[in-house]
Amino acid sequence: MKSSALFLSLIKRLTTSVFVLFLTVSFLFVLVRIAPGDPSQKFLSPNLSPQLVERVKSSFQLDKQIHEQYISFLKNALTGDFGVSYSFHRPVNEVIAEVLPFTILFSLSAFILQLIGGLLFAVLAFRYHQKFWDKFLSRGSLFLYAVPSFVSGLFFVYLFSVQLQIFPSSGIKTVGTLENNYFFLLLDYAHHLFLPVLVLSLTGLPVYFKYFRENFEENQNKLFTLYLRANGISERKILFSHLIPNSLNSIIAYAGVDLGILFSGALITEVIFSLPGMGRLAVGAILQRDYPLIIGCTLTAGVLIILTSLLADLIRLKIDKRLIKGLLN
Amino acid sequence: MFIVWKNIYIFFLLLVTIFVGCKKISTDNNTQVVIAIPSDIERINPLFSYSVNEGNISELLFLSLVKHSWDDKTGDIKTEPMLANSWEWNSDSSAITLELRNDVHWSDGVLVTIDDVIFSFDVYSDPVVESYLYGSFKCFYTNNDNHIIAERTFEKISETKLKINFAPGSTPSLFTLDFPIVPKHVFDKMPRKEIATAKENFSPVTSGPFTLEKWEKNQAIIIKENPKSFLHKDGNVKRIIFKVIPDYNARLTQLKNGEVDLAEYLKPEDVNGLKNTGSLVVTSLKGREYDYLGWNNLDPVQFKKNHKIVPNKLFGSAKVRQALSMAINRNEILSEYLQGYGELANSPISPIFKNAIDEKLQPYVFDLAKVKTLLAEEGWIDKDQNGILEKNGVEFNFTLTISSNNPRRIFAATVFKNTFKQLGIEMNIEQLELGMLIDRINNKSVDAWMASWIIPIPLDLKFSWYSNLATTPMNFPSYQNKELDALLDKLETKISWQQKNEIYKKIEAILYRDQPVTFLYWIDNIVAYNKKIKNIEVTPLGTVHHCWLWQ
Amino acid sequence: MKRIRFSVFHFFFFLLLITIGLRLPLLGETAILLISYIALLITDFRTALDQFSLSMADYFCSFLLIIAIPLFLFLKRNNLFLPKNFSFSHYTLSVLLYTFLFAPVITNDNYEFQKDISVTRLLPPFSSIHVLHLKSNTEKSGRLNDFLSLKNNVVKNSFDEKIIFFDSLQITQSGVFYFQNERGNGLPLSSIEMVDGKPYISIKFFLLGSDEFGRDIFTRIIYGTRISLLIGFCAVILSLIIGVVLGFLAGFSGGVTDILLSRLTDMFLSFPIIFFIILILAFFGNSFISVIVVLGFSGWMSLFRIVKGEILSLKTKDYFITARQLGLSGTKLLLKEALPIIAIPVIVNTVFQFGNVVLSESALSFLGLGIGNEFPSWGGMINSGQEYLSQAWWMILFPGAAIILTLVTVNDFGRKLAQYFNPRLHE
Repeated sequence: MKSSALFLSLIKRLTTSVFVLFLTVSFLFVLVRIAPGDPSQKFLSPNLSPQLVERVKSSFQLDKQIHEQYISFLKNALTGDFGVSYSFHRPVNEVIAEVLPFTILFSLSAFILQLIGGLLFAVLAFRYHQKFWDKFLSRGSLFLYAVPSFVSGLFFVYLFSVQLQIFPSSGIKTVGTLENNYFFLLLDYAHHLFLPVLVLSLTGLPVYFKYFRENFEENQNKLFTLYLRANGISERKILFSHLIPNSLNSIIAYAGVDLGILFSGALITEVIFSLPGMGRLAVGAILQRDYPLIIGCTLTAGVLIILTSLLADLIRLKIDKRLIKGLLN
Repeated sequence: MFIVWKNIYIFFLLLVTIFVGCKKISTDNNTQVVIAIPSDIERINPLFSYSVNEGNISELLFLSLVKHSWDDKTGDIKTEPMLANSWEWNSDSSAITLELRNDVHWSDGVLVTIDDVIFSFDVYSDPVVESYLYGSFKCFYTNNDNHIIAERTFEKISETKLKINFAPGSTPSLFTLDFPIVPKHVFDKMPRKEIATAKENFSPVTSGPFTLEKWEKNQAIIIKENPKSFLHKDGNVKRIIFKVIPDYNARLTQLKNGEVDLAEYLKPEDVNGLKNTGSLVVTSLKGREYDYLGWNNLDPVQFKKNHKIVPNKLFGSAKVRQALSMAINRNEILSEYLQGYGELANSPISPIFKNAIDEKLQPYVFDLAKVKTLLAEEGWIDKDQNGILEKNGVEFNFTLTISSNNPRRIFAATVFKNTFKQLGIEMNIEQLELGMLIDRINNKSVDAWMASWIIPIPLDLKFSWYSNLATTPMNFPSYQNKELDALLDKLETKISWQQKNEIYKKIEAILYRDQPVTFLYWIDNIVAYNKKIKNIEVTPLGTVHHCWLWQ
Repeated sequence: MKRIRFSVFHFFFFLLLITIGLRLPLLGETAILLISYIALLITDFRTALDQFSLSMADYFCSFLLIIAIPLFLFLKRNNLFLPKNFSFSHYTLSVLLYTFLFAPVITNDNYEFQKDISVTRLLPPFSSIHVLHLKSNTEKSGRLNDFLSLKNNVVKNSFDEKIIFFDSLQITQSGVFYFQNERGNGLPLSSIEMVDGKPYISIKFFLLGSDEFGRDIFTRIIYGTRISLLIGFCAVILSLIIGVVLGFLAGFSGGVTDILLSRLTDMFLSFPIIFFIILILAFFGNSFISVIVVLGFSGWMSLFRIVKGEILSLKTKDYFITARQLGLSGTKLLLKEALPIIAIPVIVNTVFQFGNVVLSESALSFLGLGIGNEFPSWGGMINSGQEYLSQAWWMILFPGAAIILTLVTVNDFGRKLAQYFNPRLHE
């Protein structure tokens, strides 16, 4: 009984999310079409006659009324067809499917780095509570949190790519190598992605650090900790078996949303390092007025955010059974 | 707890050693060339080479009937055989007979035949296909929708001989035949409408001296030599990699450290750094692109209301436009931003056309005192001494619209703004995203804007300077002059080369006198390439051109 | 007697005194200009109106404030609302506020001033450049002209025909020969300002270097503070209004309104908001106003949620129910009961939101979709510096540092505020 109710509430949440997503897409659909500017512009060469201009427009289906366009869009969308991208001349699904794996690889590594880094530093700060390291890390995280990624990104490019020339400043791999060794290719990817992943994780790291540290602090003076300590359990064991698991809960909720947003594109980092990610794809679509691709990117971002936060909730439920009750209410 | 700390240390140590360890991955030797391009191409199909890079790449993969190269001495193009071995004009040049090569094969083994040629003309001019050349087949027998009528145009004399009849009264040239031929057997089996999205646009069947080896989307397009091609020669370049590097600084860095062998559109301030590497040749391609400051010659408000053509309050007068041209310190931009990689422009006729250009024409000189007197003669005086000129109660202020992603124009606009302010002219700068800017220019709703034209070879002026605004949408400044129209019309009749050049000089004089826009400067395309590339020719026709000759 | 502790108040006072000391001549001239402008207003109203300009008003305001604020602080020193204890963020906050208010007096330079680009462009920090002064034309006399020359002295223009920057100079019998980036030019001695028979040469100092137009980066950062903070204030106020009003609506009326508004909020949160901002700016044009509006419209969601949550919990509180049953009107309920409760979380959130807006604005400018180059903005400066990354690091470092400093300050201030209102969070 309990599990079926849980299932129902999850279903309910999912439908609300899908409904919201539908609203978002519809809103954008109308917005991009009432906006000034014309996507067919760049495909029109100077010699085209006005009739042909109309023809190009009709091939984009831009000559119809908005509601007609909208209805045909919905019909196609239901079958999973989001149209053909104006600038790539390929189905939107294909274009996104090409970019998505890289984005997930890239943002997942940044995500893991910031999560682990945040945890490690928090443990370190906790260990040296109120001592030099703690203060240093706390101050440092406050500072790091305030460094915009375009400043840190440019700084790293200047230092490592322009001055020291250790890391490449752009791209995800060396083009034209004849090497087929997997290990070699992996290293090549890692070499190219080191700086971007570092820059991307630097903005999130202080947040996780703060979350973990505050949680440790809060639980540190709770009765159960005092009890454990009184029983002579080692500090290390308290930390690893009790404090960290206890703090995970609230962090996972935050991490779910955070990961979703990372998946939908780390725009600034992608721009600085010219990486082929979702963020640049979406902004490119916006600047080129590639309507189907704009909608496609938004939808993908929305779906990813919903999925990751759902995943986060499921994990939380798995960890902490008490939450089920809260969810049911 | 110490253990944890040590782990962190090891963790970082590991990272650092791994990444420093694989510092440089060697790219291949001397037979391949890496060319940096700023953005990936959309498809490999010559029918749709809207962008320069697409055109360059499809030109290497697909052969044309003839090829053109630049003759620096005459300042004109010259034609050489390609797919067509030889040709012969009729006595009145109303038809041409081509002799085709019989040793060229498509990459899938099929022979390139006359049918492919006829098919190509047909499909390029088919309005359904929307090819990039659509509408430019004016010399041929065409339907109302500009579709070539194959039956009247082509006569197949033998398997390798083709006669092309041109429409009466037209002035055909070999240039109208210079476009890549596409395979009939591939595109004939699909509906014409679907060619634009066909999967063959990503794995093309080619005929050129190179074939597509691999296309990694957003990363690189790799083409390799085609040993079967008649253009193939041992010792020439074996592979060309077009590497997509959107970021300018990254292109520059990779050019310097040898990851890239050739890059175009480099910035003048980086030239010294590039020369210092010792491994690069820096040269420039002149006279294909000019920046101009467009003045809206007609009143945007009146035009929007009822399409009435009323002279602009500020820029309607040629004298004011002349004054503004003199108020612009073009030399400062030329020396400070372009670092001398460019030259002052007098008209839309490029100095590379050595016979068409009037060398006696002197550029307008930057002279603020003269500007003040000219403007005062036109009635623009600062009566209330608030620092802004006025005439009949109207203050001299306007908005200059530029696109938001062109640093050169932003630089120039910022400098111009300051000089104008000194003169009592209030200029606001509005930066718009390119799509919106084009939209506004088309609607003629901007006061002034800065943009550039890339001039076509051979010269074509009518599409942007003819007075009839309905048929000439590219006449953005809406400049209207009957005298100019007559000259432009005359260019399209059968006249001698000398007469043509005389007319060009007259056109130049008119545009120079009236300054419908302020012609700013011709911008050099700075090209740097590795010294290992030999036999490369950087001409106004392009850099990535005839690459099969590179060594 | 109370022991006097060094506080933020003293710090602010100290900054003011330094400025007054350094800029005494300028302040004096401003005072004269103000008086003569008032005189002009009385005698010749139309001309005075024609002469009015925003930058002149800016100077007047700075002048009046620089006199008024020390007086005010001095008179009210006993019950100062300013915090007394020493903290980093308080100091940086007062520096930011100080720059915001007194930008024209601090730099006394036009942020768009450019001249002889070949000599002045891309100068590293602490450079100085020699200046040659040309003789001004015979002065026209007359009230208006006197006023004009005074105005030109105080309110700096973005151009100056009377000076020439040069690299080196040769003096010959008949004139001078000056070099600008290896190009030489001659001038007759008669046209040059002379001192003791020698050409008068002064020095212009570029504290933080110059940009690609030879504009002083220090001045641009100072004025950039204004732009960034102004955009922050305006956008945050807009979000505040939208968030609070919608939150009240949703919280009080409940039902359909609540559901609709909540779904609207979800909609805005269901995809990265930066894309929405870029889309609007790219499609509808980017300008000072549109950036403020878009940033304002994209930041109201968290405020909405907070206000709604607080109102919902308030509705179940006994005292509120009593007040309602007593028949208090809606407005009164709102003002007397609801506002004080929600004020604290809203204020704290607003401060953090302010930081977000400053960051977003600079990120947008970095992407080329900011307020354009009409005004100097930190993000825009970094964006143009990116072009010169390998030649001029100072074009990125200083505006970058300004952004970081502002964000650290604002975040720290927000944290302190939250701690102040919610002692449970005290460390």
